[in-house]
Amino acid sequence: MEMFWGLAVSAILLGCTYTLVAIGFSLFFGVMDVVVFCCGDIAIFGSFAIIGAYAVAQSAGLFGVFPFWVCVILLILIGAVFCAAWGLITHQLSIKPFQNSSELMPLLSTIAMGTVIKEGLGLLFKPVVNTISAAFDRESAVTVVSGRNPQGFPSLLLPDGTVGARYLTIIVITAVILLLLFLFLNKTKMGMSMQAISQNKELSLMTGINVSRVIIITFLIGGVMLAVSGFLVGSYQKLMSFDDGAMYGAKGFSAAVVGGLRNTWGAVIGGMLLAFVEVFVSGYIPKGTAYSSIAAFVIVVIFIVFKPDGIIGDKSVEKV
Amino acid sequence: MSGKTKLLRMFFLSLFVIGLLIGGSSADAAESVVKVGFLGPITGSDAAEGAAARNAFTLAISEANKSGEFPFKIEVIEVDDQGTENVAVAGAQEIVSDSDIVAASGFWNSGPAAAAIPVFKEAEIPLLIWGAIRESLTNKENVPYITRSAPTDKQENIPLAIKVLDEMGYRDWFIVSDVSSYGDGNLNAFKAELAARKITPIGEEQVPEDTTDLNAVVQKVKASGAKAVYCGSTVAIGSQLKRQLNDGGVRDILYCGISGMKTEDFLKIGAEPAEGTLVVSPGIILEDTTEGSNFINLYNSQGYSEPIGAFTPYAYEAALILIKSMRACEGKPTAEAMTRAILDSKTTGIMGTTTFNEIGQTENVAAYLNVVQDGKWVPLDKSEYSQGGKRAFGGK
Repeated sequence: MEMFWGLAVSAILLGCTYTLVAIGFSLFFGVMDVVVFCCGDIAIFGSFAIIGAYAVAQSAGLFGVFPFWVCVILLILIGAVFCAAWGLITHQLSIKPFQNSSELMPLLSTIAMGTVIKEGLGLLFKPVVNTISAAFDRESAVTVVSGRNPQGFPSLLLPDGTVGARYLTIIVITAVILLLLFLFLNKTKMGMSMQAISQNKELSLMTGINVSRVIIITFLIGGVMLAVSGFLVGSYQKLMSFDDGAMYGAKGFSAAVVGGLRNTWGAVIGGMLLAFVEVFVSGYIPKGTAYSSIAAFVIVVIFIVFKPDGIIGDKSVEKV
Repeated sequence: MSGKTKLLRMFFLSLFVIGLLIGGSSADAAESVVKVGFLGPITGSDAAEGAAARNAFTLAISEANKSGEFPFKIEVIEVDDQGTENVAVAGAQEIVSDSDIVAASGFWNSGPAAAAIPVFKEAEIPLLIWGAIRESLTNKENVPYITRSAPTDKQENIPLAIKVLDEMGYRDWFIVSDVSSYGDGNLNAFKAELAARKITPIGEEQVPEDTTDLNAVVQKVKASGAKAVYCGSTVAIGSQLKRQLNDGGVRDILYCGISGMKTEDFLKIGAEPAEGTLVVSPGIILEDTTEGSNFINLYNSQGYSEPIGAFTPYAYEAALILIKSMRACEGKPTAEAMTRAILDSKTTGIMGTTTFNEIGQTENVAAYLNVVQDGKWVPLDKSEYSQGGKRAFGGK
């Protein structure tokens, strides 16, 4: 029984990391009818932005000036700014120019954007971070290794706490983010505008909703969500690689499809379902770890064939 | 002639002379350059090992050039295979397509090595493997083009098995590796050692190479009651597994593995939980010999950002073997002459004398054990974990 609960906790934590990426997919798809395939890469960029900002902050001696928690919030904000910027850039360069083209065009261009983000990280992460760190001209300048190397994620979540407390914090942060998103989507004018556009863009235009503005804000919010996702992934896994984005993107998209691509709660359910399948296949089937991802993607295929609208999605998913 | 015209004439005359000089020197240089290729994971998850090996290889070549011994300059074409098969094949093609290439040395990862070997064989360019340890890379079919100065996975696992199975007496094993050919080779090599002692592992997992969440494996190890965990993978999975075992409360065990984990990255990523990790390393303890100490001093004096890794001396040694083979070609190294010269070479370098057997595998086999002690790799015999030492491994 101890193993069961251990696996369940692992699955919930993994599910949290998938869920936030999946919500990014859902938000973008809901408002734009576009699958933004670089969501995973943007989230990983957020992780790297935090790792880089941490090195710079240490080089600048920031941790000695401000309380630790203030520094952590600042680092997350930096990650959020970068991810929101990538969200906007993605919209402006990879989606907007293809609004009147085939549905395949933005799909391909967001895949291309993901490659740009990934390779950019691999090439530029080290020179940019180390140049900024060196500019502070302190003996204790902290440097990072090449962006193509695995990066240890700094201990920013309860560094002196127990592992259990850190895990619980990750789950609580995910829950709080989901709650805030729920309140935003259902209790604010902007959130309801997003939902209106998601349901019927033409009617939304007729009712006077500024669709362009809503779209831009969606990409900003989505970017911030992905940054938080990157922070939680890093805090949980403790090891980041510049090419992890493809895997998280694939898992996040799969989770969104399984749950229902237009529905943010579907993303939560889909993310958790995939994580539970992966972890329990790995845990209970002898030598099962090699097959855990295969099992998760088999679930996705089953859903696409038998319930393409997802667990709580609507029929409009068939448009994809 | 006006002053302005004279000035212009002088200017163009100067340009002509400079052009002649540059052109002439290029032509001279082109005639006197011999090229060798170097391939390895200079970036990517195995970059700590690959970049240090590149440094050592180019250092040896640079020393040879400085000595003025050869009537030509040796130039290195560096290829970053990123530890992946397709990039390795593209890199191999880049190297063999250069008409000045006479030999190449490459590979830390066995998969990329296996993928690129046919390219070298087809082009009839000799390839000396400095770091990939999968046993099947050197075989009868690959002679004479493929040789290896590093030990095989089997040769690395034997001393580890003798230590942990025969001397330390661990019996309850959970063995983990990745699904790559490197991981697979190590897993099978260690399983063969277990089987030879009639020990059946109580758990076994192979994980995809990009796995970062190993908590399910940790739960399995926990439930199995294993006293020792073997990890036949590289730094990313090796360090992540050790950290997550620690986080999962599985601390009272012996954690051991293969040379792929013996990098500085393991210490950084694994951080404090890395303490007590036991890893086999190929070669000899460099500090114990004059030649080895000289190499350490030479390498460290260059200011490289990558410290010496487990296979760095092998890359240096590979360059020495190529240089020695060039000597045997009597000033006219060609790919054909180098192929035979490498296979027949007898090179005394920093780790003893290297010769090759009938399948191109080194006959100079050595390995020793290292342990992480206070955030550093320390030879086991010199550590506080050695017999009767101040510290003890878990699982006892």
